[in-house]
Amino acid sequence: MHDDPFEPPLADAARRYHEPPQLDEPARDAMWDAIAHAQFGATERRRARWTPGWIGLAAAVVLGVALGRFTPLDAWLHGGRRVANAPTAVASAPAAPPSVPAVYESTTSQYLGQTAALLLALPTEVHAGRADRQFIGRAQNLLLTTRLLLDSPAGHDARFRGLLDDLEVVLAQVVRMQSDPNATDLDLITQALEQRDVLPRLRTAAADISAD
Amino acid sequence: MTLPKTIDPASPITSVPTARQHERALIDRVLGGDRSAARALYDAHVDRVFRLAYRLTGDDDRARELTQDTFIRAFDQLARFRGDSALATWLYRVTITVASNLRRRQQRRDRELDLDAAGALATDGPPVAEPDLRDRMAAAIDALPEIYRTTFVMHDVEGYTHLEIAEVLGVAEGTCKSRLFIARGLLRKALAPFVKE
Repeated sequence: MHDDPFEPPLADAARRYHEPPQLDEPARDAMWDAIAHAQFGATERRRARWTPGWIGLAAAVVLGVALGRFTPLDAWLHGGRRVANAPTAVASAPAAPPSVPAVYESTTSQYLGQTAALLLALPTEVHAGRADRQFIGRAQNLLLTTRLLLDSPAGHDARFRGLLDDLEVVLAQVVRMQSDPNATDLDLITQALEQRDVLPRLRTAAADISAD
Repeated sequence: MTLPKTIDPASPITSVPTARQHERALIDRVLGGDRSAARALYDAHVDRVFRLAYRLTGDDDRARELTQDTFIRAFDQLARFRGDSALATWLYRVTITVASNLRRRQQRRDRELDLDAAGALATDGPPVAEPDLRDRMAAAIDALPEIYRTTFVMHDVEGYTHLEIAEVLGVAEGTCKSRLFIARGLLRKALAPFVKE
């Protein structure tokens, strides 16, 4: 017997709230493949199918983010907008962003290039029935890189934040196609790309990085 | 005060360091590039990380993404794990941080959508079916501010102790209790019109 009329529904809601399914072996292995790939650069069972270029890319993003904490990267990413929090010596620095550190420049260029290539190839791959696990795996890896970048100082920079946000949405849509890619999924992704003007912005961002 | 006879007073003292030592050895092997040790750590913790991720996201795809991201971050930052707390506690902290980042970005995107249009659609007529109490409860939990929702989910839903939650969230145990009290209060307030006193 409950004195408090809220206790039974609260307890029931707590028990049923977002009740997780059992994690089966294939799901467990698929997640491990992605994790092992990101961490060790290859999977245990499908080593030959992974895209080798992504290994260096992920490592370089991590390295770039790490270096960014100790190099002018942070200053470049924030331009003059960090002045209020910066020491006096930095406050007198010009507002124009300094040049991009080489490690970050090449990594971001590579990331933007690979993402553009994947998105441009998407319609053809889906129509030809070639949007297989390897293709989706590339999208998954780029999605992870996007999130690393979003949580890095780049994610706070107005020039990249919006684009990275949109790329995260689009790449997540691509990854979710994995079980049965079809025309409807492709239409939704194409709409998202067009509405958000993603591909032209990708090219502009890549050109900006190259110009820096 | 005497301990019950069924409890061996020595067991917590000997077993805890052994488990920690085993975990530390695995961590050292992972840091040395041993993939099988990484897989062992993953297998030991993935179920609870996934459960927490699912409770926080309510979506299978997102929960898997969150679980993957958590382990990738965790392995990436493993050298910074000092062993002050259990590895599980540290992993849950990473999970909460990654979930929080994802949620914040999702909210930012939602704010950028034209919510006025969505609001007009929502108020144009009565819903097709009145949500039942369970749906209302879930919606009320979803609507809790993040710090209260996380505390409520970890304590009342997943059964973590206040001490564990305090360690994961990096707050005092009292703060954790206070947040849970507020979370429950907010839920009661949200549900008051639908629960007969």
